[in-house]
Amino acid sequence: MERIRRDFSTVTLVMIPVAIALNIAVGQLVVALKLPLYLDSIGTILVAVLAGPLAGLVTGVLANLIWTLTGLQPFAAAFAIVAGIIGLMAGLFAGWGWFRRVWLWLLGGVITGIVAALVSAPISAYLFGGVMGSGQDFLVAFFRATGASVIQATFGQGIVADPLDKLVSFLLVWLTLRALPSRFLQRFPRAENVAGRPE
Amino acid sequence: MIELDGVTFTYAGEATPALQQLDLRIGAGELWAVLGPTGAGKSTLCSLLAGFIPHFYRGSLRGKVRVAGIDVPGSSLGEMSEHVGSVFQNPFNQVTGARYTVREEIGFGLENLGVPRPAMLERIERSLALTGLSELAERSPYALSGGQQQRLAIASILALRPKLMILDEPTSQLDPAGTGQVFTLLRDLVSAGETTVVVAEQRLEWVARVADRCLVLQSGTKAAEGTPSDVLSSPEAEGWGLCESRFSRAARAAAAQGITPQRPQLPHTLDQAVEYFR
Amino acid sequence: MGLLLAVAFAVPWWACYLTLGLLVLPLAALGRLFGPLTRTLWKLVLPFAVPILLIQGFFWGEGEVLFTLGPLSFYRLGLIFAAASIGRIAMLGGCFLLLSMTTRIDMLMRALVERGLPNQALYLVVTTLQLVPRFEAQAHRIQDAQRARGLETEGSIARRARALVPLIGPLLLASLMDVEERALALEARGFSRRGPRTSLVTLRDTPLQRWLRLALWLLAATLILYRLVSWITR
Repeated sequence: MERIRRDFSTVTLVMIPVAIALNIAVGQLVVALKLPLYLDSIGTILVAVLAGPLAGLVTGVLANLIWTLTGLQPFAAAFAIVAGIIGLMAGLFAGWGWFRRVWLWLLGGVITGIVAALVSAPISAYLFGGVMGSGQDFLVAFFRATGASVIQATFGQGIVADPLDKLVSFLLVWLTLRALPSRFLQRFPRAENVAGRPE
Repeated sequence: MIELDGVTFTYAGEATPALQQLDLRIGAGELWAVLGPTGAGKSTLCSLLAGFIPHFYRGSLRGKVRVAGIDVPGSSLGEMSEHVGSVFQNPFNQVTGARYTVREEIGFGLENLGVPRPAMLERIERSLALTGLSELAERSPYALSGGQQQRLAIASILALRPKLMILDEPTSQLDPAGTGQVFTLLRDLVSAGETTVVVAEQRLEWVARVADRCLVLQSGTKAAEGTPSDVLSSPEAEGWGLCESRFSRAARAAAAQGITPQRPQLPHTLDQAVEYFR
Repeated sequence: MGLLLAVAFAVPWWACYLTLGLLVLPLAALGRLFGPLTRTLWKLVLPFAVPILLIQGFFWGEGEVLFTLGPLSFYRLGLIFAAASIGRIAMLGGCFLLLSMTTRIDMLMRALVERGLPNQALYLVVTTLQLVPRFEAQAHRIQDAQRARGLETEGSIARRARALVPLIGPLLLASLMDVEERALALEARGFSRRGPRTSLVTLRDTPLQRWLRLALWLLAATLILYRLVSWITR
């Protein structure tokens, strides 16, 4: 309980809106670059590393609910649970010290991507018939043509796209936090995830 | 209002102290400017007076710190916010984002302090009037200019009726017009007896015009203390890392070439310069 | 919102069209939002509807064939599946649009805080909503600035990938650095002070609104229960 209270300090509460706005802004830059990535959970992962798994979970869920409310992506709320799981897992991995070894951390990214694909497939299959209205749709069509069911085809699309996306996201978060001065990191509740325990 | 005795503070993870053996007495109803180059300890002093040291920044603090009658290390940020107000550099970062209009934004702090609604309305109107924002009360805080946003930050703090107001380089991100608005406002507030002000600042021209007293910091220690004209005219001013005002620079250059007689007081504001070169 | 999603999965697909036609659209008309709502909804649903129809229709692979187009056949079951999906999307989209077009979110959050949600939740939601457009604008500025400096935002995929770090790196770092000042500014205004708080805005709640809310809760619960029971007994 005390740990939770410390994780949700004023700094964390301030960081969550900034992180969600970052998710959306970075997501748009990626769209502008026409890359086959989303990178729309970078802020969520940042919060998870700096303020723990529960803060990551809250950020992910809230990000998608807000995305719906702004009308930018009205169906994001359906995937709130996926975004929450991404934040939760990133926070857990960082808590286990994976962040301090880059290959472990990147492995964490791939695992998170696989889980995200597993969880989101049934949602998009039942709600949207597997179609997201994006460039990834041709993948769904391809898998359907090979005789896969709707849910299998949707999962097929996710398992190609999600682990790569989370791998790159985790890497970018790692690079960013490495560039931050360590004196600055001390403001965050879980600075030890990045820099080792303070004296 | 402020009593510091032998204060030394070192940030966690750093070897050299940011403030060393600092003694300071500031009386109620004064406007103080804290001067010195970047890294001299101006921000650290502001954080200390506002209670962010030791309640937000970790580190080791020694010495006595009493502000507005409160023993700072023994207090909390919640308690401090009822007596000491802080304004920061970046106007955008000070808009909470949690309210939709200028009026509600000023109300944010009052709601947190549990001020009853009738008193809240009255205090908001007064803050708006004092800072000249009355006509913008129904606008979104994000629709204001930088100078207006900074006046809003001051209005929001003013509504809390702090005994002391700390401003850490409040004009560093503003244009000349915004800078003028902020300093004129601060002078008016102190002259009207609303509050006591401590402002960390680089713009000597404005310091000379509005401040009652100056404190010069250098590597975390006190280098000088006195009225603006004493401090800024001191032959040591250059050694303290104070960038001179364009007026005093012109006067020094003129004196060096024998154009004007060297007078004891160099000019720091336009009015003084007109007098000086007459 | 979560409840609405559960309902979306629970009701049979034709009921989605019914809800949209009989509840959302008339309510929108009542609030004089019929035009804006339908226009936005149309733009929203179309990018989903077309690919769903094509993919599900042509690739269903079994059952009755409605028509054939060269080597491709359009299946009846695919059409029904697509209609169900589109119906769900349209209903959900309609409901959310109605909510976001009629409700001031700060009032909604204030009401929830009065019902026991922590005060910080209000800050989180409203601040996020206001920060998102500022950050989008900043993203555009960065993009323009980097393009002006000759950074490749076109060209091969490797080239565009290399543009990624200089584009988003500064945004991430600057935002994290700002967190400190934002937090201090909040503290200066008593954000973490304990004790009673007051509110500048006052909320209005009529008995009619209270009864309507209760009725809606009951309806939603019945629907979900009904669906669960029929799913278990099947």
